[in-house]
Amino acid sequence: MPENPLTLDPRSKLILALAAAVVLGALDHWPSLLAAAGLLLAVIGWLGRQRGLVQFFKGLGPAVLGFFAVAWLAFDFFPALTAAARLLDLGLLFFLFFQTTSPKGLSQALVRLGLPYSFGFVLTVSLEFIPVLARRAANIRDAQRSRGIPLEAGWRGLRYLPALLGPLLIQAFKLADEMAEALEARGFGSAGRRPGGELHFRFPDWIAVVLSVSLLAAFLLWY
Amino acid sequence: MLLQFQNVSYRYEGAEAWALQQIDLAIAEGEYVLVAGASGSGKSTFCRLATGLAPQFHGGELQGRVTVAGLDTRETPVHRLFGHVGLVFQNTDAQLFNRSVEDELRFGLESRGVEPVEIGERLAWVSGMLNLDPLRDRPPHQLSGGEKQRVILGAILALRPRLLLLDEPFTHLDPEGAETLRASLKTLPGAGMAVIVVEHRLQEVVADVERLIIFHQGRLAADGPPRQVLGRDLTGCQVNLPPLYFLFRETIAESPPPLSVSEAFELLQAHPTAKPAVTARRDLCPSPAGDTPQRATRPLVEVRDLHFDYQGREILRGVDFQIHSGECLALLGRNGAGKTTLVKHLNGLLKPCRGAVKIAGHDARPLRTWDLARRIGFAWQNPNDQLFKTTVREEVLIGPRLLRTLDESWCKRLFERFRLAPLLDRSPFRLSEGEKKRVAFATALAARPELLVLDEPTAGQDETFRRELAALIRELREEGKTIVLVTHDLEFAADQAPRWLVLAGGRIRADGPPDAVMADQGLMKTAGLRPTQRFEFFQLLRKAAGVETAKNECPKIP
Repeated sequence: MPENPLTLDPRSKLILALAAAVVLGALDHWPSLLAAAGLLLAVIGWLGRQRGLVQFFKGLGPAVLGFFAVAWLAFDFFPALTAAARLLDLGLLFFLFFQTTSPKGLSQALVRLGLPYSFGFVLTVSLEFIPVLARRAANIRDAQRSRGIPLEAGWRGLRYLPALLGPLLIQAFKLADEMAEALEARGFGSAGRRPGGELHFRFPDWIAVVLSVSLLAAFLLWY
Repeated sequence: MLLQFQNVSYRYEGAEAWALQQIDLAIAEGEYVLVAGASGSGKSTFCRLATGLAPQFHGGELQGRVTVAGLDTRETPVHRLFGHVGLVFQNTDAQLFNRSVEDELRFGLESRGVEPVEIGERLAWVSGMLNLDPLRDRPPHQLSGGEKQRVILGAILALRPRLLLLDEPFTHLDPEGAETLRASLKTLPGAGMAVIVVEHRLQEVVADVERLIIFHQGRLAADGPPRQVLGRDLTGCQVNLPPLYFLFRETIAESPPPLSVSEAFELLQAHPTAKPAVTARRDLCPSPAGDTPQRATRPLVEVRDLHFDYQGREILRGVDFQIHSGECLALLGRNGAGKTTLVKHLNGLLKPCRGAVKIAGHDARPLRTWDLARRIGFAWQNPNDQLFKTTVREEVLIGPRLLRTLDESWCKRLFERFRLAPLLDRSPFRLSEGEKKRVAFATALAARPELLVLDEPTAGQDETFRRELAALIRELREEGKTIVLVTHDLEFAADQAPRWLVLAGGRIRADGPPDAVMADQGLMKTAGLRPTQRFEFFQLLRKAAGVETAKNECPKIP
C-alpha cells in the first residue's frame, strides 16, 4: 500500500491521532460527535481510503448498534447516541490511521520514540499476521462445514464456535513457535542490528505536531 | 569438516524414545546431500541439531557432539551458528514476517548489521539468481507456494551461509515450482556452499546429489553415493523411492538403479535381454487398467459453464465437466489455478457467479453445505484444521450425528479400516501427524458420502502412508464410491486415477486418460505440469522402437 498523500512521518501521525482521540474522548455533545464522524469520513474519502470501509463497518457497525441499544436501555436516548457516536468516531480515527500508516512505519515510529526494537517488531508482526490467521480461520471454517458442523452466522454457529476457535488457537501457537525458530535463523537474536528504511521528520511533520498540540491545548483550556 | 555429528543421540524433553541414535557423519564444503527417511525417522530433528535449535530451543537430552564450522552447537548461541548455516523450514507462512519481499530479503542482513551498500549488492546477487526482482514490492503472503519458497531461499542465501539446509522444500510445490527450485539448488554447491536437502520425495533431487543419507527409526540406515545406496534393499526404510527404482530393481537387479529417465534408457540398451521384462511391467506404467466409468448412468456431478470471481479476479471462466458414480479422477494444475475453488463448489462452500452445479441431478445453488455434506465428503490437506473434540471417537462421530446419518456399524468398520480402535479414547491433539491424517479420512467418510474429495492427500507423506492410501482408494472404488483427487503428485495420480482433468487459466484444458494428457507437451507446459518419469521412459522406448508416440488423444475444450 502506498504511503499517505501527505507523506507525514508515522510519528507525527501518531501524535495527531492521539490528540484527536483525546478530543473525541472528551466531547460529550452528540451533534459535535456526529459532525466529527462526517469529517473523518470526508477525510477518508479525500485520501481515497474508502476501500475496506464496508468491511470495517461490518465489524464496527454491530458493536456501535449494540452499544447504543444497551446504553439506551440503561440510561436514555441522547446519552446512548453520544456514547455510540464516540465509539464510531474512535473506530473511524483508527481506521484512518492504520489505512495511512504501515505496520512497519508504526513500529519504526515507536522504536524512535524510545520503545525497544523487539516490542516494535512484535507489534508489526502481530499486525502482519492478522490476514494469515484470517486465512487459516477461513480454511478451518470450510473444513468444519464440509463435515456438517454448522459454523454459519447466527446462534447455531455460536454453539459450535469451539470447532473454529480450538483448531485456530492451536495453529496460532504452533505458528508462533515456528516463527520464533525462523526469526532466530535470520539473526533476530544478534546484537548490532542496523535497521533500514530510516524515518524522516520534515517540515510538514513539525507543522502537524505543533498544530495538533496547540489545538489540543486550546480545546482542553476552552472545554 | 563443516558439519560433524560425533556419536550423537538426542531425545526431546519429556520423551522417553530417542529421536536420533548414535549418529556419526560429516559434511564437507561444496557437498550436495539428500537426507531421506519415513515420517518420524528423525529428519527434522537432524536439521534442528545441525543448527543448534535442539537442544537450545527445544531442550531435551543430547549425547555426543555436533559441530558447525568447528563450533559446538550446545555452547554457541544459535544466532552465531546461523552465521554459518542457513535453514529453510517446512512451513513457509512462519518464515515470512515482513510487509514486502524487499523487506524480507533485507531482514536477516539488517539483523546482522551488514552495511547498506553491501546489503544492496547481496540483494542484487540473490534477486538475479532466483529471479526475485518482479516480486520485490509484493506482500509475501500474496505469493504462490513456489514464489514464497524462492523468497525464503533468497532471504537465507543473502546471508551467505556456508551450509544450507532445506527441510522438505518440495512438499507444497507444484511440478513447475519444484523444477525451478531444483534448478536453483543445483547451482549452489558449485559456489562452494554445502547443501543438504531433507525430503520424502527422492525423485525430485536424487539425480543431482552426490550423496544420499537415509534415516530409519532414528538411526543412520545408509550413507553414500546415490547409486550405491539405492543398490541396497531399502524397502524397509519406507522412503518414497523413485518409480524407476522399482522398475529396474526387479528386472536388472545386478546394476545400480538409474537416477534419471535417460540413464534408465541407456541401462536398458545395455541389457537388451531385460527389455521384455521391463516393458511387461504394465502395472508400473501410467493409465491404470480396468476402469470403465458408468457413463450410461445419470452423472453424480454436473458442472456447466461455471464462472467464479474473487476480489475482482476471474478464478473460474466457464468450467464444464461431469463425474459419474464410481469414477476416480485427478484434478491437476499449478498452484493458484483454481482447483480448490472448483471443488468447493461441489459441497456449496462456494456458489457460482454464473453457470450451474448439479449434484445427483439437484441444483446445488439453493442447497446448504450441511445438505450437500451427506453426499460429498472432503478430506482436507491439513487434518489440524478440524480437530477440536476431546476424543478420537467424538471427532469422527460428530459429523454424522449432526447430519443425522449416523450408522454405528459403518463407523465401526471405519475405526477398523483406519486402525483407530486403540486410539478411540485418546485426544486427537496428542496423535502423530500420520494418525491425525487417518482420523481426517475417517471423519470424511463417516457420513457415508457418495463422492470423496481428497485434497493433496500425499503431500508430506511417506511410502507407508501412500501405500495405505492407494489401498483405501482401491477399496472405496470397489464399493462404488466416486473419488476426486486434487493433487500435484502426478506419479500418484497416474497410479490411481484413470481420468485426468487439467485446470489452467480458470478453464478445463484437458479431460482424458493420463497417457493422452501427458503426451500433449504444449498442454503440460501451459498447465505447469511435468510428465511422470515412467511415462517419459516408456515414451522413449516407444520412440526407439519406431512406434509412433501417443498423439493428442486428449479431448480439449476450447
